[in-house]
Amino acid sequence: MKFRRLDKRIFFLLGIIVVYSTIVGLKNPYFLSIQTVFDTIRSSSEAALVALGLLVIMIAGNIDISFPAIALFGGYVTVVIMIATGIDNLFFAFALSTLFGVVLGLFNGFLVHSLKIPALIITLGTQYLFHGIMTTFIGSATYGAGVMPKSILSFSAKQLFQIKLQYGTTGLTYFVIPVVIAIAVTWFILYRTMLGRGIFAMGNSEEAARRVGFNPLVIRLFVYGYMGALAGMMGIIHLASVNAVYPNALIGTEMMVIAAVVLGGASFSGGRGTILGALLGVIIINLMNNTLIFLGLSSSWNNFCVGALMVISVVITSYQERLENRRKLLFTD
Amino acid sequence: MRLIRELRQDSKLFVLVVVGIFTAILLGILIGDKLYTPRSLMSMAYQIPEFALIAVGMALAFLTGGIDLSLVANANTSGIFAAMVLKGRWFPGLSEGAAILVAILVALVSSMLFGLLNGVIIGKLSAQPMIVTLASMLFISGIGMALTSGNAIVGFPDAFTNIGTAHLFGVPVIFIFSMIVILLFGKALSSTSTGRRLYLYGENKTAARFSGFKVERLAMLVYTLTGLFAGLSSIMIISRVNSAKVGYGEAYLLKALLVCMIGGINPDGGEGKISGVLITILIIQLLTDSLTIWELSPYSKKLIWGAMLLVIMFLNHLYNRYRQKRQLERTVKGVS
Repeated sequence: MKFRRLDKRIFFLLGIIVVYSTIVGLKNPYFLSIQTVFDTIRSSSEAALVALGLLVIMIAGNIDISFPAIALFGGYVTVVIMIATGIDNLFFAFALSTLFGVVLGLFNGFLVHSLKIPALIITLGTQYLFHGIMTTFIGSATYGAGVMPKSILSFSAKQLFQIKLQYGTTGLTYFVIPVVIAIAVTWFILYRTMLGRGIFAMGNSEEAARRVGFNPLVIRLFVYGYMGALAGMMGIIHLASVNAVYPNALIGTEMMVIAAVVLGGASFSGGRGTILGALLGVIIINLMNNTLIFLGLSSSWNNFCVGALMVISVVITSYQERLENRRKLLFTD
Repeated sequence: MRLIRELRQDSKLFVLVVVGIFTAILLGILIGDKLYTPRSLMSMAYQIPEFALIAVGMALAFLTGGIDLSLVANANTSGIFAAMVLKGRWFPGLSEGAAILVAILVALVSSMLFGLLNGVIIGKLSAQPMIVTLASMLFISGIGMALTSGNAIVGFPDAFTNIGTAHLFGVPVIFIFSMIVILLFGKALSSTSTGRRLYLYGENKTAARFSGFKVERLAMLVYTLTGLFAGLSSIMIISRVNSAKVGYGEAYLLKALLVCMIGGINPDGGEGKISGVLITILIIQLLTDSLTIWELSPYSKKLIWGAMLLVIMFLNHLYNRYRQKRQLERTVKGVS
């Protein structure tokens, strides 16, 4: 029963992708090519990383809107440190940014656990706080491609393999490596460890999870720390893909990622959501943002279309939940 | 006298009044020569109404255990609708007076419809208010964005901008109007049966449902009302600033949450008073103006507001724990 409904959502999302791509393909034949696939993978990789983190948080029944600020904080501070010390190593960059992300994420998790206030309000506060601390105490200068560490710049140009096209070549970016690793790790944690069972349990009922012996504090710290780590990685990938770091970058992109995860079938009340759904959600949002222009709609229609999709998917998810609750004679919602 | 009696009964309100007076005096000592000039007080009185209405809308959603994140987006987009009418792009051929009336009507109706959309999804489908209003925030601001491509619509008829700039005995008309609306609303909340129902609905939805309340209708009522507050605010914004655009007043959302937190509205619902919200709005406006006078960068302002929200939540948490402990002690005493 449960499997069938999850599959329904996946089929629904795949259907959207196929229908949408066909429509765009009819308008613009060049769209249906391997180039588009590679481009989509490249431009989705940032959002895909944090979408995985957000999925884990949402399964645990919480939310986080501070991750763009964490990603920017990690990326920006890492670049500042690398420029100051002259260390020019990609792994160092990833490690440092991830470390910052974990620390900020743990801070979020601790606050959410101890204050007993909706996580959205807390992370709205920490979003302002992180961004404010970064820009006030660390710096608000823009670093362009000239001063950026070479290792980060070269990371964005590297390709796993290349395919020859009629004109020039195209290839799969290195960005896909951290994403694939993150997918594997997330899958393993969610479905193959006790911690993963605890995350699902807490999303369904925190009280029940506590009574079977899970420690809510540990689980909260883990999900927010994990999100922080992924956000830190996303920070470096973002730097690499734009070849510069702006003090205002990324802030405000959280809505698109939340929309993607919600579209992927994650329930806001927790306990429900799939990795594949979240990834398909990211791809759909990304496709819409990049190709609405082919349908004759300017980029200012982005928010409208994504917002409409998000409203529809909230309606579907909550209607299903309500029907299920009524079947079980639950009237607590 | 009644006020003093009320203050003695309500410790939270008392603390709030003390904090408010203390802040006002402290700011007066620090920068009083710039803050308490007639000009600065006047500009405060012009800025308070639009924010106060949004904050009260948020407080209403908070009272019922919900939240309305779409308020600011709703105000902006309804304002854009009104601006479209005023500029003659919609309903062309109206006389100036008629266009102004239609514009106001369009803003109010559209804001209430947006609110009703939230209310229907929350009430009829039992969706969580937070995710619903988050989605509708994106959707509603998307409508405004699609209409304007992010550009501002500027230049309205004088008769319309007069709404935002007119004053009566030196007090802005919009200030008087918004205070009357808020006080009437506060009165309605505390002394009508629907108002009391909203408190029970916020306190315990399941109990409210099984007490025979039409909870689905209550949800729709709440979010239509918050929408209406956003609509009133939108008219004040566009007539005062003489322009309508997406993304105006982005900090209002955080500040409105801050007002509810400081104003003693319990985010779990069922607790809080409009009088507390009103006092907090004045405090927040004083602080906003002080930050402007100190000429802080937008980044430091962000830091200060964010830190303040977290600190307030922490203090609230400590206070709640203290209160629970005291209640427990009292019960134990009563038993033995």
